[in-house]
Order: sequence, then structure tokens, then C-alpha cells
Amino acid sequence: MVKFRENYYADVRIEDRSRTVIQYQDGNLQEFKTPVEVRAFLRVYDGKMWYYASVTDVAHVQKTLDRLYDAASPNPDIEKDPIVSKLERNRDRKFIFEDHSVRNIPVEEKQALLRSYLPLLSEDSACAMPIGIYLDRNSVFTFRSSLGADITYDYQTCGLSLRCSMAEGEKKFSAAWQRGCTRFEELKGLTDEIRASMREQAAFMRESVPVVPGKYPVVLSPEAAGVFAHESFGHKSESDFMLSDESMRQEWQIGKQVGSPILSIAECGEYPGSGYVPYDDEGTKARKNYLIQNGILAGRLHSGQTAAALEEGLTGNARAIDCTFEPIVRMTTTYIEPGDQTFEQLIAPIQKGYYIKTISHGSGMSTFTIAPRLAYEIENGHLGKPIQISVITGSVFETLGLIDGLSNELTLLSFVAGGCGKMEQMGLPVGFGGPCVRVSEMNVQ
Amino acid sequence: MDKEFLKNSSRSVTLNITGGKIDSYREKEQTTGTVRVYANGKIGVAGCLGEPDEEKLTAQAEKALELGIPYVSALDGALERTRDNSAEIVPEKELIPTMQAMLDEIGKECPGFAVSNKICLTWESGEYRNSNGRNLKSSGSSLAISLLFQSRGSGNLMDAFYQYSGRTFDPEKVVAGCKTVYDAYNTPAELEEGEWPVIISAGELLGQAISHFVGEIYVSGASLLGGKLGEECFSEKLSFGDDRNSATNPGSFFFDDEGTVSPEDRSLLIQNGTLKAVLTTKNSAAKFGLPVSGHAGSAYDGVPTLTMQGLYVARTADDIRRIVPGKAVYVMSASGGDYTPSGHFATPVQMAYLVEGGRLVGRLPELNISGDFFDILGKNYLGAIPNTLANCCPDSLMVTKLQVTK
Repeated sequence: MVKFRENYYADVRIEDRSRTVIQYQDGNLQEFKTPVEVRAFLRVYDGKMWYYASVTDVAHVQKTLDRLYDAASPNPDIEKDPIVSKLERNRDRKFIFEDHSVRNIPVEEKQALLRSYLPLLSEDSACAMPIGIYLDRNSVFTFRSSLGADITYDYQTCGLSLRCSMAEGEKKFSAAWQRGCTRFEELKGLTDEIRASMREQAAFMRESVPVVPGKYPVVLSPEAAGVFAHESFGHKSESDFMLSDESMRQEWQIGKQVGSPILSIAECGEYPGSGYVPYDDEGTKARKNYLIQNGILAGRLHSGQTAAALEEGLTGNARAIDCTFEPIVRMTTTYIEPGDQTFEQLIAPIQKGYYIKTISHGSGMSTFTIAPRLAYEIENGHLGKPIQISVITGSVFETLGLIDGLSNELTLLSFVAGGCGKMEQMGLPVGFGGPCVRVSEMNVQ
Repeated sequence: MDKEFLKNSSRSVTLNITGGKIDSYREKEQTTGTVRVYANGKIGVAGCLGEPDEEKLTAQAEKALELGIPYVSALDGALERTRDNSAEIVPEKELIPTMQAMLDEIGKECPGFAVSNKICLTWESGEYRNSNGRNLKSSGSSLAISLLFQSRGSGNLMDAFYQYSGRTFDPEKVVAGCKTVYDAYNTPAELEEGEWPVIISAGELLGQAISHFVGEIYVSGASLLGGKLGEECFSEKLSFGDDRNSATNPGSFFFDDEGTVSPEDRSLLIQNGTLKAVLTTKNSAAKFGLPVSGHAGSAYDGVPTLTMQGLYVARTADDIRRIVPGKAVYVMSASGGDYTPSGHFATPVQMAYLVEGGRLVGRLPELNISGDFFDILGKNYLGAIPNTLANCCPDSLMVTKLQVTK
């Protein structure tokens, strides 16, 4: 049991992380490991500075914590500090994956499942160098603070990432399919879906033609819309970027019109999936936060430090990629809320535009960028031929104002490979999604 | 039985800056150990966090051979080499006051910028041994200063930045570098659309094209470079590869995770315009009949895979004026560009500056750049210069002609 000292704020976060990594390349086993790592991250705050340390041997937690205390200065009023007084004192034990933990599934079963899908990556004559990866992670987090917070909860994801190269003459394509979820059972029975995806990508390789660059109406799939929400506005909602410049508060006043009146973007760590964060890394309980509601700036994401500085409430978004970093303001699951149209109704009025079905990556500051993997022409209200597009881009605020249609179904997506990067902390698991989203004009290159 | 032993240790102290003030201090320390054994065309790997017990790891690695992971590895022969680039850059006890004093000066020189992000002092050491008598040790210390600037009132996440990396510390140089960025940021500039020389980092220009250099992709036929190994398919001014030379990549080790050592500690993929190698481990090189390129990396508990420690581009001039006497566009930060399967590159540029007379003269509005992969590195490639136009880093910036649109 950790002993906290009086006159300081301190917390200790420990993660017991169990993973499975099985990888095949070209039919050969390439990686097979089941590491279990336990790490801790410690924070001490004296009202002036934060002192952090990461520990790989939890037997050293107390010794390291004492060293941080020695570096800090005692502060009898620490509990009145604006940051400390914001922090929650939750006490909870929340295990939602215990009855289907991937720790309890024999590794041979995971390997057999992956092997069963590998032949699908070689069915088309253009396919080469198939790569199949099975990944899972089950973590048990404990968080204790000098304020009395005492939380233990579990986190779990599992999934498959399948890739292959496709080449036929001068035509080339990198095909990819990924599924992330929280139950191993959900990874079974996907043969038809994977086969259909590989066939579609082979057809894309053979039939796609380069886009004529220009400005066009664009319809985003839930995957592309989720990345768009994350990159275009999610990062702008991380309020640590408002700390250094006080004039930002004026620029980012709650209630300001920032998008189309049909647009609402929400954020919540409660959904099981890669963005599941029932308690953030400062012990704050997850809640649903609107970033934009009906086109109006409705809220932003906070850690204790940013909530205190901006005199707003906590949101449950202080996160670190693991116990080697301090928590900073990050997203959990970010999504656009659905509208009332069918997909067919969305594309019907478009004479010439593009449908972005899957993506390779995205990024965003004042301009957002999405690199599509599969994209299709929309002509006279119908989907047409496959199109090669390097990037779709636009000014964030202009584009948010140009959203003029939303489909009526919400799809939330989870991932087991990749993740969100912010400064030094790369690969944070997040979830995202949305309906299909129509934008009246985007720059397509 | 062939055997390799690796041990890596690192310690870092990182300061976080908010609004020009240091508000946190973080210490990280980690040691990892790895043993790999090879028998009958298979590999067994064991790794640990913390001080490694070689005997115990060896037994675990031998047990892991039962997993049957195929791996061809011809261990390199005996070589003893130790390199120590450790030096006291800033006394650790004086790190906070020293850096705060520098930040205060930046605040005075650049009053319209709100400054944030990190300063990191790192000590690293790596050791590679194998059963053929190869014994390599590399260690060093480095300082990285990464400052983000928000122009007060802009409402943006970031408007400009400054980076320093190296093994010395000259606060006046850092302050002067920040002032150069500040002055250029506050001077609006214009440039008409068209084809212009563009100065850009290798990461921004080629980051999404690295997959085409991967050995497995190369032999699959899906690489843009398919069949071109040994061919002169780029400008003869271009030499490009992985940088393990601490002079241009501070903190790097001079050997890869399979003990491969390259001439001048740089594993070149393109040499004077000729595609000399693609990215391989010893296993993929043997499997596909490709040269061993020296690009093996690995998790401490994992089978070797591919890595690049830093992108190296051979300099062709010390001053941009020797390459471009007139105007050029400096890309401080692009934004997630990519290549189509046929090699068309496009990206928006969020922070672009006009360069003239060898220096930044003003900030350009956001723009877009595009070009074809082979033209970018071929007929349009102009050369490479030191990364000192705005930053102070020991790597190089590429200069190539690209289409610039608004």
C-alpha cells in the first residue's frame, strides 16, 4: 500500500497489461508473443510544479514517490489549489471484461482463428505478400490518489489486421482490412466480409483512375466521417492548447457558431471499444460531452489542469498512452451524431462528386487532411467508378459549415492497430464514427 | 547454437512548458534485455524489462524455439567497437533554471508568441553481442528542444515551431533561431501559383513513400520501385537512407539490432541516384535474395523487424543560395500528405515561408504542393541543405521543384 505524505497532492497509476501478438507473413509464422508488463506512473504536485516518474518495477513505487516528494515543496494549502480541488475522489471497482477476458482464451485458439482467414488474402491472382496479425490486450488499471480516490477497472480489445500487396502490370495497390472489438467471439465468422473486401480492393486496383484535382461535393463514410470529426474538431477541442494564450478564451467562447446547424459532435469514454475510458488517468469518471451541438460550440475536453485554468468542469479526458507518460488532454470515442437521410438520399442530388469509403490516415490543425484508401465517383446521383485520390483537404471551419446532409445510422468503430498521435505520445487507442456525412465542397487532389 | 544478446538503457529528464513557463519535470528510466537463439532455421526470442539475467533469458529463448518461427540469420563475424558520445550538455541540477532563463529571453524577443511543449535531456546506451565474437557498444547523450508557438489571438493550435537537437547547448543560438521564425511569421509574403523550388524535410516528403522501399513490398511487385534495384532512377544528386551517425542523428546507435554496421554509419538506399538497397532484415534479405541493408529493429521481446532510426539525405550545399539563387518555399509543416498507388504526391502546407537570399523573408498563406514521385526525386530534385533555415538540427532538408497551388 502506498503511503502519501500530507501537504502535497500525489497519485499513482498502475497498469497490468497482457497482450497477444501473432503475425504471419506469406504463410510463415513471423511473430508469436504473449507479454505481460506491469508499469506505474507517479505524480506529485505542490501547487507550483508537477513532478513525474515512471517505474517498471512496482516494488520501487514508494521509493520513487518519496524521491518526487523530496524534489517538491510542501504546501499546507494544497487541497485548496484550483487544480487539486477540481479532481474527483471516486472509489470504484469496475470489471466488465472478466467473464470473457482474452487472458483466458488459449493462444492456440487465437492462432487457429488467424490462420483460418489467411487464405482469403491470396485468392485473387494479383495478391502477394499476405500479412495477417492477431492482436489483443487486456489491462487492469488501478488508480489511487492522496485525495482518497481508489479505482480499479479493466480494459480490453482484440482484433485482426490483414494486409496484402496487389500488383498487375503497372497497377499497384496496398490492400488492408481491420476489425477491432472487445469480445473474441466477434472475430469469428468474418470470412464472407473479408473475402468481399479483398475482391473490392482487387477491383479497385484494376479499375481505379486518377482524380482530376478540384473542388467537389464529397460524401464521407462513417469511417471517414469519424476521422474527420476527430481530426477536424476533436483536436481543437483538447483545451490544453488554450493554456498558453489567454486570448484563446475569447476566440473559443462556448455558444459560438462553428458549424452547420445539422452538425453535432459528441465525445464519450463510456462505449466499450478502443476508446473505452471509464475513468481517465486522473481518476475522473467518463461522461458524454458535446463539442458541437446543432452547429454551436458546446464544450471542450479537459484535464484537471485545463479545467481549473478555464474554470470549467472535468470531462474525463486526461489520458496517457501508457504508464511511461503523464496524462494530457486526449479524446476517447468521438463521433458525429446521425441525421435523417438514407445513403441513397445523400448522394441523390450530387451531379459530380466523390464517396470516400475507407481511409489510410488523417491529420488536422487549421486545415484537415484525409488520405483515402478506397474512393468512388458519384455521378448523377449514383456511385460510379473507383477513383485514386491522394488527399481530401479543407479549412476546418469552412468545411464544418458546408456539411449539408447526414445519414440516419450511427456506426462506432474500434481499432487494434495504429491510434492517435499527439506530440510525443503516439498510438493512443481511440474510437470514432458517425453516419455518412455529405459536404457540399472539399478540395480533392 | 547461434546466439545474440542485446541490452538497451535509457534515462531522460523532460520539462514541459506552458505559456513560456516550465510547469512539470518528468524522469524516465528503462533497461531492457534480449536474447535470441537460432537453430535449424528457427528463431527463439526472450526479453525482459529491467536488468537482464542472460542465463535465464537464454533458457527462455531456447524454449521459444519450439514455437517454430522460421528465421534465417547468418550472424556477422567478430568485431569489437565501442563509441561513447556522452557529454554533460547542461548540468542536470541546473536544467530548470537554465532553460527557464532561455524561455524568458525568447519571451522578450518574441512577445507575440505563446510558447509551449518540451525540452528533453536523454542518456542512452546500447549493447549488441553475438556468439561469433561481435561486441558493439554505443552510448551518448543528447538534448532536444521542441518549442511550439501560438501567435497570440490567432485561435490556432499552433502557428509555428522551433526545434533544436544536438549534443551541445547554446541558448543564444536558440533564442536567435526563435527570433528568426518570429520575424518571418510577422511578415506576410505572397507567391504566385506554379512550379517552385520547395525546401522540405525528408519525413514530410518521403514519410508515406517509405513502404515502397520495404523489401517485402519490393518483391511483391506493389512497390513503385519494383525491378529497379541497381538502376539509376533518381537524380545523381540524391543519396538517401537511414542515419545511425551521431553527427547528424544525435542519440542514434551505430549498429542495427542484428549487429550490422554500415559505412559512415549510414545505410543508404539510394546512392548518387541509384537504388542500391531496399529495407531488409537478415531474414528477409536471405528469403528474397536481397542485400542486407542494416535496418533491423526489434521490440525487446520480439523477432527482428524493420526500422529506420533517422532519415539521411546527403547534403549538396551548405547554403540554399548555391542551389536556388531566387525564391523558394520552405515547408515548416505540411499536413498528412500521401501518394496515390501510381505515385502522385499531394499535401496541404499549413506553415509555409518564402525564402530569398538564403533566409526566411516572410510567411506565406496556406498552400498545396504536389508532384510525381519519380520527378520529385529525379529531374526536379535540386539537392539538400542543412536544416538551419528556421530550426537548428543536424539533419538535412531536401530541395525539389513541386507544383504550388493556393
